[in-house]
Amino acid sequence: MKTGVLALQGSFYNHVQSLEFIDQDYVLIKDTTDLSSVNSLILPGGESTSMIKIQENNDLFSAIKKLIESGIPTLGTCAGLILLAKDVIDGETSLGVLNTVVERNAYGRQNQSFEGLVNLLGNKEMYCFIRAPKILSYEDSVTPIATIDNEVVGVIENNIVGLSFHPELTNDKVYLDWLSSFLKDGVNVRSL
Amino acid sequence: MKIESTFKIKKGLAEMLKGGVIMDVVNAEQAVIAEKSGAVAVMALERIPADIRAEGGVARMSSVETIQEVIDSVSIPVMAKARIGHFVEAQMLESLGIDFIDESEVLTPADDKNHIYKHDIKTPFVNGATDIGEACRRIGEGAAMIRTKGEAGTGNVIEAVKHMRSMTDGINKIKTSDQNELMSLAKEIRAPFDVVKEIHELGKLPVVNFAAGGIATPADAALMMQLGCDGVFVGSGIFKSGDPKERAEAIVIATTNYNDPEKLIEVSKNLGEPMVGINIDDLDEAEKLAKRGW
Repeated sequence: MKTGVLALQGSFYNHVQSLEFIDQDYVLIKDTTDLSSVNSLILPGGESTSMIKIQENNDLFSAIKKLIESGIPTLGTCAGLILLAKDVIDGETSLGVLNTVVERNAYGRQNQSFEGLVNLLGNKEMYCFIRAPKILSYEDSVTPIATIDNEVVGVIENNIVGLSFHPELTNDKVYLDWLSSFLKDGVNVRSL
Repeated sequence: MKIESTFKIKKGLAEMLKGGVIMDVVNAEQAVIAEKSGAVAVMALERIPADIRAEGGVARMSSVETIQEVIDSVSIPVMAKARIGHFVEAQMLESLGIDFIDESEVLTPADDKNHIYKHDIKTPFVNGATDIGEACRRIGEGAAMIRTKGEAGTGNVIEAVKHMRSMTDGINKIKTSDQNELMSLAKEIRAPFDVVKEIHELGKLPVVNFAAGGIATPADAALMMQLGCDGVFVGSGIFKSGDPKERAEAIVIATTNYNDPEKLIEVSKNLGEPMVGINIDDLDEAEKLAKRGW
């Protein structure tokens, strides 16, 4: 079985590189027909408005939503988090499977984009925030897993993880080890 | 701890634009059409390249009002052009909060020898290149993204194809060279050694490489993607065509599905008239924009 990487637009080859580092088979997802052998999912960074537009005529997102709701491990980074979020400020709700409120470009424009020291599951690493979305609030079913200066920048809810930043541009060992266990043993994601 | 505008952050925005289409727009109305059609970014311009070509005169950075109008109208990244070597235009674009600066041969150059030293500006830069040596020089100066020059405003893709093929040949040459040969190769292509060494180690350019200059149809966009580009700029091709919205959407879908002829056929139906093109052979040497830049 393979990890499906949404490949409409954005940093999907960067995520593919992460998967190659951990020897995880993958398939690029551009159409519903690409989803048949997928048992985990990655939604990359990029422009959420563009991704939503590209898939609108082929029902790709409704098929992806069903897959996520079936419980497969799903990771969204930056634009991927926006696609997952139930409520989006200054943007459109699309998949709406993660009980968070997210604001697009809330850290500012590109000149305010930054590398920041993130505490991800107890480990500190510099990660890239690029015109990043902000997690404004989340419901009780959602647990924070990443913070920067006490602000939540990553969450998990059951099988779904959303991050404001781009671990796929860093590929540090702690992230790759976590990714490997998340994608391969998704049933235990909560205990992470 | 937060550090703004590192080179990794500059390159990172270009990584996020991959697989996407960046569209030239001259006002808020066009910018909104571009965003709704699925553009990943817009380029705010006073005049599109086809009009600059037709009207002549000195082409400069767009007016502050035009740029501000476009910034205010969309939520996707906004790019704008500065003249080659005009670091004050770049400083102004940085202060305006532009997301990416294109140091562009489409505008009239301001310096006949030097490009902008781009590391000093917070905003990332994209630069045009016709071959690997030129790409390496621009990366050495701090460009966070490269694009082919093509021949802007012609609706003719031949020059973009030529530049992309030349780039790929150059990368392959560096990749397959023995490391003892790298310095001599760097000298030959007039490229900074460090950048050549990095390409040798990575096996590819260290920054994203888009196609630009003459892309007018979904098939043109797919052609450039199959040749190995990371995404496309479409300048005059959209808003000089019969039905800009339809064409913009079609080029976006074609850029994602560049390997799928059936999808390309589907989006190429009922597009209306493409922009009228120009044969490159009909241009005087002095009219060729790709010759600008050093």
